[in-house]
Order: sequence, then structure tokens, then C-alpha cells
Amino acid sequence: MLDIIISLSFITQVIRMFTPYYLGASAANFSERGGVINIAIEGFMILSAFSYAFFTISFGYPMLSLLLSLIAGIAFSFLFSLFTIKLKINQIITGVGFNLLMAGLAKFFMMYFYNSSSNTPNFQSLPKLPILSLIPFQGNIIADAIIVFSFLLIFISQKLIFKTRFGLRLRSAGENPEAAESLGIKVRFYKTSGIVICGVLSSLGGIWLASSQQTFSDGMIAGRGYIALAAMIIGKWKPVNIFAACLMFSFFEALEITFQMTGSVIPTQFIQMLPYIMTIIVLVGFIGRTRPPAADGIPY
Amino acid sequence: MSRKFLPNFISVTVSVLLTLIIAGCFLYFIGKDPVMVFSKMFEDVFGTGYGIGQTIFKTTPLILCGCGLALCFHVSAFNIGAEGQINIGAFLMAVIVFYLDDYIGYFAFPVAVLAGFAASALWGFIPAIIKVKREVSEVITTIMLNFVAFALVNYLLMEKVAVKSTVRTPEIINSLFLPKLSEYIPSLQGSSANITFIFALALAVFLYFIIYKTIYGYRMRSVGINPVASKYMGININRIYILTFIIGAGITSFVGINFIFGYKGYYELGFSSNLGFTAIAVSLLAKNNPIGIIFSAFLFGILDFGGLAVNNMVPKEIMLVLQALVILSILITDKLVNKYITKTANA
Repeated sequence: MLDIIISLSFITQVIRMFTPYYLGASAANFSERGGVINIAIEGFMILSAFSYAFFTISFGYPMLSLLLSLIAGIAFSFLFSLFTIKLKINQIITGVGFNLLMAGLAKFFMMYFYNSSSNTPNFQSLPKLPILSLIPFQGNIIADAIIVFSFLLIFISQKLIFKTRFGLRLRSAGENPEAAESLGIKVRFYKTSGIVICGVLSSLGGIWLASSQQTFSDGMIAGRGYIALAAMIIGKWKPVNIFAACLMFSFFEALEITFQMTGSVIPTQFIQMLPYIMTIIVLVGFIGRTRPPAADGIPY
Repeated sequence: MSRKFLPNFISVTVSVLLTLIIAGCFLYFIGKDPVMVFSKMFEDVFGTGYGIGQTIFKTTPLILCGCGLALCFHVSAFNIGAEGQINIGAFLMAVIVFYLDDYIGYFAFPVAVLAGFAASALWGFIPAIIKVKREVSEVITTIMLNFVAFALVNYLLMEKVAVKSTVRTPEIINSLFLPKLSEYIPSLQGSSANITFIFALALAVFLYFIIYKTIYGYRMRSVGINPVASKYMGININRIYILTFIIGAGITSFVGINFIFGYKGYYELGFSSNLGFTAIAVSLLAKNNPIGIIFSAFLFGILDFGGLAVNNMVPKEIMLVLQALVILSILITDKLVNKYITKTANA
């Protein structure tokens, strides 16, 4: 048991699981810090994963696909902000609608272009960072730009949210938009920025999943967008705590995969439940009270 | 009611038209003839008894789940967890009927339905009590409980009751199958439409009266619209909230009746295929009015079966996109129509 956990391949597995979780969770965090609940993280991940697959298969340039998929993610973010900010429509229902739309689009285009309801043909993954891949053993992980970025993101988002003018204003939009507006802060601009950052980061998570598996399959996101939301809540909307929550969830998921291969005394389904049950317990307040941004979810 | 009828009617009609236009452009863009696709769809849906029957069969669960969610939405409970509630309830229904039908025959049916209702209601009770006691938004808890439900059902099914090398429960005895509608209306021959549909219609009418014509319904809506005022009116808002939430969640389990007793005879993993989310749209489109839900469920039922009808022209997944577009466009048209009304009222 213990020798499995401290093995290099297990740690690699944890890091790989961690990447999409942390990208998704910080995405959700940026949106909620601006006071917009975005439960469509799942949808953003699905669509970006598919669009990366589509563009790579069609054109064959992974970097171009990365760019185009991010642009698609940004476009959907603006659409989302049109609903939630410009028109002040309920954010939860909008999120449900976006999830259905984006998952539906991916399914439809997969059938339309590749005549398959399960997966696309294989394609190239993103290129590795050239110098770092020369590092012995885990060169593969360290040389993966998105994995490296997701670790840097801990510092970037901590700094951005708590130490910059942008972050202060973003938070003020999420805590007390009326007060912020009266001080001359363009609340809508900051809320929109939060949503766009959210769209970019969650798309990056989807792109990474597609790129690392070199195929897009139906259900490959498998609720990761929701686990990301859970990690954000358990992390109490703080980048460093979210990091810990994501690390914990990815540890459990890696454990689950190991158990599936080796067999275990604990049914894997119970490990699957863990993140969700823990989130509820944290919310109920048995492990310290959590407090979302004060104006979270309220249209402004 | 009547004062709000016209604007609601306008915004629903506009949103459906908007969806058709967007979908038409979309089809045109990918090189299909939208007129041909839609006419083929309507031809297959309404042209044959089988088409109508299958559409009714697809509509039934949408009415049931939509009605359950409508109750929750009336007390302002955003129940995103219908998917989990459905699966917990339907699974228990199938398991209980399988274990009991040898012993108590027909009585296994009501026992199973009640047990399913209770299980789904319990799954709704958890977010409701957490909301009331700890003021935690039901949105997140219901989403989380969805996944707990999937994993729990998966475990119980795969480890305990599943038929070997399948993902379903054993079949129920033949005498427990509900009568098909085609036994009464022969032209529906071959379709899976069954009397659950009649039950769904009756339930919708019944809930309409509860919501709009009884004191309980009045209190319910009052809690949903303004909990603070309701509290000072002497309404026990927590009790109304919890009770309505668990009844609503319980009703979603009836979806299992249509599938288990009306169609397959067993519970199957993934049978609900996002029904819990689609039903949110169904209820929303009808402004949470159960009578309206019958119609909006029909619209979604048509899209559901219509997708299969046009499958050789465009992939049937186009209907998933259409359903999502209906939701998003109703959100927009509602907002714009309301804006227009308040503008003209003030002028």
C-alpha cells in the first residue's frame, strides 16, 4: 500500500490529475470573486477539449489549436457575461443552459465530423518544452507547459487576487458592487473580466485533458468541472487552500485508479463519492465556516 | 394568472421561433436544408401512430420530472439535483419490485413506487434541511448529491444486484408491466407509450390545483416570492420549504414508473440521460405551471423523438443543441418582454 503511494508513477499520476482540477477550480474562483457563479465549468472544459481535438485533426498544428480553442472559450465567456451581466439573468439557470449547450455541441459535432458517438480519431498532443524534457525521469511532466503553468497559477492567482489593484476591484465587485460602483469602479467590467479569465482557465483544463489523452471521448471530462467547484468551496475561495483541496482530490483519484488495477478492500465508488461528501460536510460547517463572496450569485 | 398570460405566451412563442431560426441558420451553415430537416421531423412525429406514441412516451418522464421540479422552483429552491433523485428513486423501485414480486404479486407495485418516492424525497430532504439549518445554497449541495447518488447506485447495482455482465437489475415479472396505450388506441401500435402518461397528465392537473387554488399552494408561492413577508404573515416558511422540496424531489422518482413498469422492466445505469437537467428547462419554459409543463414537455418530447426521425440527415444530437437553445432563448425573451412591459407600464 504505502510503497504504491510513494512510487514515482503514483506521484506523476497525482500531478496529472491535479492539473485540470486546479485550472477549473481557479477558473471558478475568478468568476466567483467577481460575484458570478459559473456552474458551466464542466461545459467549458468539454467544448474546449473537443475544439482542440477538432482543430488539431483538421489542421495538424497543436499550438494553433490551443489558440483557437482558447478563443472559442473566450467567445463563450462573453456570451455567458451577456446573459449574466448585461441581461442580469439568473446565473444558475444560465449555467445549466450553457452546460447543456456546450455538451450538446461537442456530441453533435463529434457525430457530424467523425461519425462516432464515443470518440474522435487520435491526434497530436501539445509540444513539450524543449530544454526541460531533457531532465531525467519526470522530464515528461516538468516539460509539459500547462502542468507547469497550473503550478505557477497558485502564485499568479494569489498575487492577482490579493495584491493587485485589479484583484481588489474584482473582489469589491463580488462583495459589494453598489459600494464599488459609488467609488467609481466599473463593476461590470471587472465582473466580465472575472468571467473571461474563468473561461480561459477552464478551457485550458479541457485542452490539457484532450492533449494528454490524444483523443476526445464522450464523457472524458467526467464531472471534473463540478469537482473543481467543490475544490473551490473547500478551499474557501483562496488560491492556496484551493491548491490543497485539488491536491487532495487528485490524490484520491489517483488512488482510485490504482485500486481499480490492483483491487482493494474499499469499493472504488466510495472513493469517487469522497470529494462530494466532503464538500457538503465543509459547507454544513463541521470543518470551520466557509463564506462565499457576499454578493456571489446576485445579478448586478 | 390571466394578466400574466399574454406576456408569457409572447415570450414563449418568440423563444421557440428564435430557437428554430438559430437552428435553421446552424443547419444551413453546415450544408443541410433546414426546411427539409424540420418537415421530415414533423412528418415522422405526427404522420404515424407510432411516431405520436413514441413522442408521448418521451414526453411522459418530462412531465413527471418537470412537475416535481416546478414544486421546488415555486418555493425558490433551485433543485439541480433531480438527476440524482431520479436515479436513487428509480433504482430502489426496481430492486424492491424484483425482490417482492414473487411474494406479494401486484402489491409489489405500490410498495415499490412508495419506496422509490421515499428514497427520492430523502435525497431532496438533505439539501432542504441543510439550507434551512445552515443557510447553505441548495444549488451546490444538490449538484454534489447528484454525484454521490451516481456512485452509490453504481456501487449497489454492480456489487449487489446487477445481472451478470450487464449494468441493469433483473427483470420484473410480466404481469407487473403496465398496459400500453395501444391497447386502447390501436393506431399507436408498436410504440412504448403506456398509461403512465395518463397518470402524468392527471398529476399535472392535480398539482395545478394545489399550487394555484389551495391555501397550501398560496403559502408555497408566497414563501418562494418573499420569504420575509411570508414569515411575518405567520407562515412557517421552513416547514413549507422542506415539505415542498421533498415532495417535489419525490415526484421525480415517478420517472422510474414509465421506464421500469412501462417499458424495460428493469433499472439500467444511465437510463435518465440528463432528464433531470432537461426537465429544468421544461419547467422553466412553462413558468413552473404544471398545465404549461404538459405543453413544454411535449415540445421537448417532439425534439427527443424528432432527433431519431431525422437521424439519417443530421446526427440526432442536433436535438440536444436545440433543447439547450430553447432554454437560453427563453431566458433572453423573458427578460426582454418583462423589460418592455415595465417600460410601457411606466410610460
